[in-house]
Amino acid sequence: MVLPPVAVVAVFIGFPVGAAIAYTLGKTGGPNSTIALIAQRQHVAKHGVTFAAYREVLGNAHVRGDLWATVWVTLLTIAAVVVLSWAIGLYVRLSDTWIARTVSALSVIPLFIPVVIASYAILTFYAAQGFIKTLAYHVGWHSFPTLGYTMWAVVIGEVWVNVPFGVLMMSSGLNSVPNALIEAARDSGASLPQTIRAVLLPMNVIPTVIVATFTGIYVLGSFTVPYLTGPSAPNLMGVSMSQFFQSFNQPQQAEVMAMIVFVLAAGLGTIYVWANMRAAKRASQTS
Amino acid sequence: MKARIIAVAVAVLVFVPAAYSAGKTTHGARKTKTQTTIVIYASGDVNVQNLWQNNIIPHFEKENPGIYVKFVFSPHGADDGTTLARIGAAVKGRHWPGIDLVDAGLVTTLALDGLDQPVSKATAPNIKKVNPALLTPVKGAAIPYRGSSVVLAYNSNYVKTPPKTLADLLAWIKANPGKFTYNSPNTGGSGYSFAETVVDSFISAADLKQMDNGYVPNLESDWNQGLQALHGLTKYVYQGVYPNGNAATLQLLAQGQIWIAPVWSDQSLSALASGQLGPNIKLTQISNPSFTGGAAYLGVPKTARHKKVLYRFVNYILSPEAQQMIVNVMSGFPAIDIKYMGSAIQQKFEDVSANTLRPTFSTKMGNDFKAQWQQTVP
Repeated sequence: MVLPPVAVVAVFIGFPVGAAIAYTLGKTGGPNSTIALIAQRQHVAKHGVTFAAYREVLGNAHVRGDLWATVWVTLLTIAAVVVLSWAIGLYVRLSDTWIARTVSALSVIPLFIPVVIASYAILTFYAAQGFIKTLAYHVGWHSFPTLGYTMWAVVIGEVWVNVPFGVLMMSSGLNSVPNALIEAARDSGASLPQTIRAVLLPMNVIPTVIVATFTGIYVLGSFTVPYLTGPSAPNLMGVSMSQFFQSFNQPQQAEVMAMIVFVLAAGLGTIYVWANMRAAKRASQTS
Repeated sequence: MKARIIAVAVAVLVFVPAAYSAGKTTHGARKTKTQTTIVIYASGDVNVQNLWQNNIIPHFEKENPGIYVKFVFSPHGADDGTTLARIGAAVKGRHWPGIDLVDAGLVTTLALDGLDQPVSKATAPNIKKVNPALLTPVKGAAIPYRGSSVVLAYNSNYVKTPPKTLADLLAWIKANPGKFTYNSPNTGGSGYSFAETVVDSFISAADLKQMDNGYVPNLESDWNQGLQALHGLTKYVYQGVYPNGNAATLQLLAQGQIWIAPVWSDQSLSALASGQLGPNIKLTQISNPSFTGGAAYLGVPKTARHKKVLYRFVNYILSPEAQQMIVNVMSGFPAIDIKYMGSAIQQKFEDVSANTLRPTFSTKMGNDFKAQWQQTVP
């Protein structure tokens, strides 16, 4: 029963990843021979392996600039998505009005809009002649910054794309907290902030970690939002990688960059696994 | 009642496709007896699709009964990377790649890496009508079939006397901050051409020739001066941004946000004809040096099938009749010498063809150039 899925994973994921790692280390034979035939500026290891491709990519100040931009955009997006989805989730959990239901429904809408369309819309909305700037001009704020083609537009786009998933996770997590616990806290005289801190927050750690890590992994590898709304340089690693792969015909360098992003994403994945294991341990202790 | 509806629905879902595919196979089997099918892959914008799908292919099929041309189109070259890998792997393994003729930017890569079949005068007689200089950068292993060049588009409402030379243009950009931009060279040929033209103006003719015809990485230090000049323009271009793609520049021009930009001749002529660009947008060419132009190439992978039929198709594409379609349908330049075309065409292109198809860097030099631009200019 286990074998077919394992085989599928090995063939469709394990093998290409293995071949890509070998290629970044200068092995251009076997499954890498076709790409090596076409590629430019590659580092080939005659014996053993070579880290020359890694040295070249990490030694490139512009790639480091892209990497730094990727890290801060990712962290900022994670923070914004967690705060926004917590706020919306909490509002919906604690207030059962039509406004609350409308807000939660609206916040999920971006899930059903293709990212390309959304990116173009965000670009025109915040562009030099876009709605926001025009509005600011009419109310007398003439020096309102143009956000289109800046990293701020990228952050706005990434938040826009990731908030629906965050809201879904947070509201389901908060909904699973029994009403009795909240009422018990309120009955013993706890204020609303105290109830949130002592009851809702600890009960909702895992969904928060899931939202943070999945958002982070998504932003690290994103392409469409930064490509369409971001500046010419520096930009996120996803854009830079595709330039190296397609426009500059340097697939080896592109794969090295993919490895760097993979390591960052794996770091976030580790946090997720650690949080899950901790929760499982706690659950087995209390029961 | 409900069960009955479900049963009927299942029956319909199962039998209709089955009956359809059965009908299709018998039809297909009859077809293969009398017909030869060749497969062409093309990438580009809708003007390229229209040229093949509605013009060249139907006319060729009408004139050559028994030959069926299957057309595979990839908008904006989205599948070029996979197609390149697919053809590369198939030729190395000596299999048919599923594609017999390619019209895409990847053709030059195929040609230089020895994956293309050279086409000679013996196999397609019309190739002798093509300017032989266009064959040098691809080692004779790809067939130039149409040309287009980059021109300067300007908004005549604001720009009364457009710049005539590159030096004038650079001076204009500095005198009118924020009213010029070009798309980043790795996202489209028009911005690429502007960047290369500026850099070319600092390079000796002998070095330039080597860069156009081969891969000489040790000459890349020649680019530094030009790249610095381009970097100096960043503070004068629109918002300090180089938009992604040829179309993005056209859009800024159409909105009146920028007043001058380098654009593809065929793309902008089509946009003017369809009204996407208003009548206030005019086109001109600069000199000393002029913008680069380029040929679009066709490639025959070494392991293509039905080569004899294929060459007949290639020969047709290079005939004056098909070349006329390129001029009419997409405002392109003919690839064959204009002396073989009608007198109307000869007049139309007399002034421009001499200096507009200025050759561009070879593919590999171009890739390195895009990489260096990305790292120095924005």
